[in-house]
Amino acid sequence: MTKQLQTWLSRRETGVALILACTMAGAGLANPAFLSAGNLRDMLVQCVPGIIVGCGLTLVIVTGEIDISVGSLMGLLAAAIGLLTSSQHAGLPVAAGVALTLLLGALVGLVNGVLVTVGRVPSIIVTLGMLTALRGATELLMGGTWITALPDGLRFLGTGSVLGIRVSLWTAAAAVAVTACLVRYTPLGRRIYAVGSNPQAARLAGLSPNRVRLFAFAFTGFLVGVATVVSVPQMSVIESGVGIGLELFVVTAVVVGGTSISGGRGTVWGTLLGVLLLGSVRTVLIFLNLGERATYWERAIQGGFILAAVLLDHVTRRRRAACAATA
Amino acid sequence: MDSDASIHPFIAVRGVTKTYGGVRALSDVSLELAAGELHALCGENGAGKSTLIKVLSGVITPDAGEVLVSGRPLRLGSVAESEAARIAVIHQEVVVFPHLDVRDNVFAGREPRQCGGLLLDRGRMRRETEALLARLGERFDVMQPVGELPLAQRQMVGIARALSHRCRLLIMDEPTASLSQRETEVLFRIIRQLKSEGVCILYVSHRLEEVFALADRVTVLRDGGHVGTWPIAEMDPPRLVRAMVGRELLPTDAPGAAPRQFGGIVLDVRNLSRRGAFEDVTLQVRAGEIVGMAGLVGAGRSEVAETVFGINPPDRGSVSVAGNPVPPGSVQAAMERGLALVPEDRQHQGLILPMTVGENLTLAILRRLARCGVRSPRRERETAARLMSELLVKAAGADVPAFTLSGGNQQKLVLGKWLAANPRVLILDEPTRGVDVGAKAEIYRLIRDLAGRGLGTLLISSDLPELLLNCDRILIMRGGRISGELARAEATPEKVLELALPLEVAS
Repeated sequence: MTKQLQTWLSRRETGVALILACTMAGAGLANPAFLSAGNLRDMLVQCVPGIIVGCGLTLVIVTGEIDISVGSLMGLLAAAIGLLTSSQHAGLPVAAGVALTLLLGALVGLVNGVLVTVGRVPSIIVTLGMLTALRGATELLMGGTWITALPDGLRFLGTGSVLGIRVSLWTAAAAVAVTACLVRYTPLGRRIYAVGSNPQAARLAGLSPNRVRLFAFAFTGFLVGVATVVSVPQMSVIESGVGIGLELFVVTAVVVGGTSISGGRGTVWGTLLGVLLLGSVRTVLIFLNLGERATYWERAIQGGFILAAVLLDHVTRRRRAACAATA
Repeated sequence: MDSDASIHPFIAVRGVTKTYGGVRALSDVSLELAAGELHALCGENGAGKSTLIKVLSGVITPDAGEVLVSGRPLRLGSVAESEAARIAVIHQEVVVFPHLDVRDNVFAGREPRQCGGLLLDRGRMRRETEALLARLGERFDVMQPVGELPLAQRQMVGIARALSHRCRLLIMDEPTASLSQRETEVLFRIIRQLKSEGVCILYVSHRLEEVFALADRVTVLRDGGHVGTWPIAEMDPPRLVRAMVGRELLPTDAPGAAPRQFGGIVLDVRNLSRRGAFEDVTLQVRAGEIVGMAGLVGAGRSEVAETVFGINPPDRGSVSVAGNPVPPGSVQAAMERGLALVPEDRQHQGLILPMTVGENLTLAILRRLARCGVRSPRRERETAARLMSELLVKAAGADVPAFTLSGGNQQKLVLGKWLAANPRVLILDEPTRGVDVGAKAEIYRLIRDLAGRGLGTLLISSDLPELLLNCDRILIMRGGRISGELARAEATPEKVLELALPLEVAS
């Protein structure tokens, strides 16, 4: 029992949850309005893109790869959903627009995956290229204007509620649940970890590391689509800067949540906590009335978090290696 | 079992050949295994055992030859096909997924499913894993990440994985290397049980007493060729060792053969220990002397070299070069005192392949060639040209990239790079691995030339003739310790192998 308690305490999720609780409690003590239902809901809604995309990125990082193109992809998909459904543009039914957007997301993810697996280009380079290229494509599509006249159906995805809870929150919960089940209860999920843990052993076990990686990239692209359709229509217009900086936010959250940047280890729950922690820090900074400087502080803190998390990961890994060597 | 199975071999390997960049790893090897047979596979390092295992397990595709399973040809080069034919391998290095738990490791790739194949049947995975471990006489938490288990238990996970296939051919590559006496006995019990169930086992081991205790027949490979297959009753340990070694040595060309005069001690290693790698290694090399280091893969030879050279710090012991102590764990200090190491894996550790021949040759001495801290291209060119002609490097010029050179010439570059620094002691780790015969002879000539000029040389090699031909003295390592020393005159392949093999051959 004590051993179980010990392993539970040594888990990254526990640590992040504690820091999160402290942040919330501290902020609540300083300003009770922080813990009001309205503020908490706003905070959660702001975290939705991070949570949904984070689910996919967790899988990508567990396989030992990375995808930093998610922010730009969200920009492109925002333009796509706008151009497809706005009555001033294609004016398609919302369902068709959503379906096409999700498909496009999965497709771009698949292209990332093909370049990494078949093209054997390191994923950091592939997705760095995509980060720039997709943003450029978005600017070209939008032609420097905003997309307006979004249909009500689409707006409902961003602002509507079902059973008193925002559609976007339901969606984020579903993304977490589906990914967690995929990881835990399906053969594919186990293979994602196997490939990240020891690619050589995976090949010897007759698994196909490339197929697993392809899936992780395509799934991430698909989830970027999901995040786009429930977060972008919160605004009545779509501009070309959607998703800028999202990749940094999500990668930080995933790593802070305990996913090893060298692959093999990580959980969706850890990522969820990581996103909530970064999200709450963002909200706290806004509450501190720093104005413009809130953004600068947020970047500095985010950077500090990612460095600390990677460092911690290295230290624990080395200690584990030392333990295994003496065992 | 029906009588057919005993007449027709269960597995037939026919004429399998595999070449790696001009080096024959396997040449025309044929082998037959009957159901329920334990067939031992013996040979020195590099004899082709691992290559044969890789062919059978589908990791590599041979250039020629076929494998028949129950008379039907196996599609080669696919792990999935080999698994489908129920061929399982227990690898020498324990191959596991450290982050996954025990049951996930056992079933990776062949997970039991439920709900129409959609979901994992976690309960069944757990129950079956526990049952498999129970069959192995083991009980441990199957929900634990395998990376946190001790090595022997990880090995058991590998065995459980093979058993879960209900394999018909089980290939075991040095399965007892990391097991204790008790665990080894358990393994033997399981092996006998599997045999009685008709599983055929290909057993690779350096431990001859295991071969004689378990095997029905034994096949010996040497230099990729099939030496012979014998019923174990017709074999005895000395004969087996002779079969493994028994090649003609390369013709000894005179200079090294006569006893030579050596200078003072240039390398003095005392009681060097590094936990988990080697223990209490003491050795001396004199100026002009070539000292060989023999031993099986994993005996700790390369680790000793790396520690002497300062790549890893030792736990205990000291190293001095020509009387000057070398501070532990610093490559730069080792180089400054006159040590040079030509590593085993030259492509990854010895050369920067995209850089030119000239750049590679002068890399270690750039600072010395520079004038007032600025590189001097003229002096670099001159040095490179001199070294190239001394070493007889065959290249289109000093400015072609190193990767365009053959393996033998690349190895000469690595040698030249260190010679440029004028070392007093040269440590060579497998200097002729993957090098063709002609280049080998040139490298040998070079090594002896250098010794003649007073360089002390420590030559680590798994190639016995290479050691016997070049060395004035041979140290043999076994299990991280120096198990013996043979002077040139008394060294024979049998004696070296006897000291290198884990247990007394004669007993």
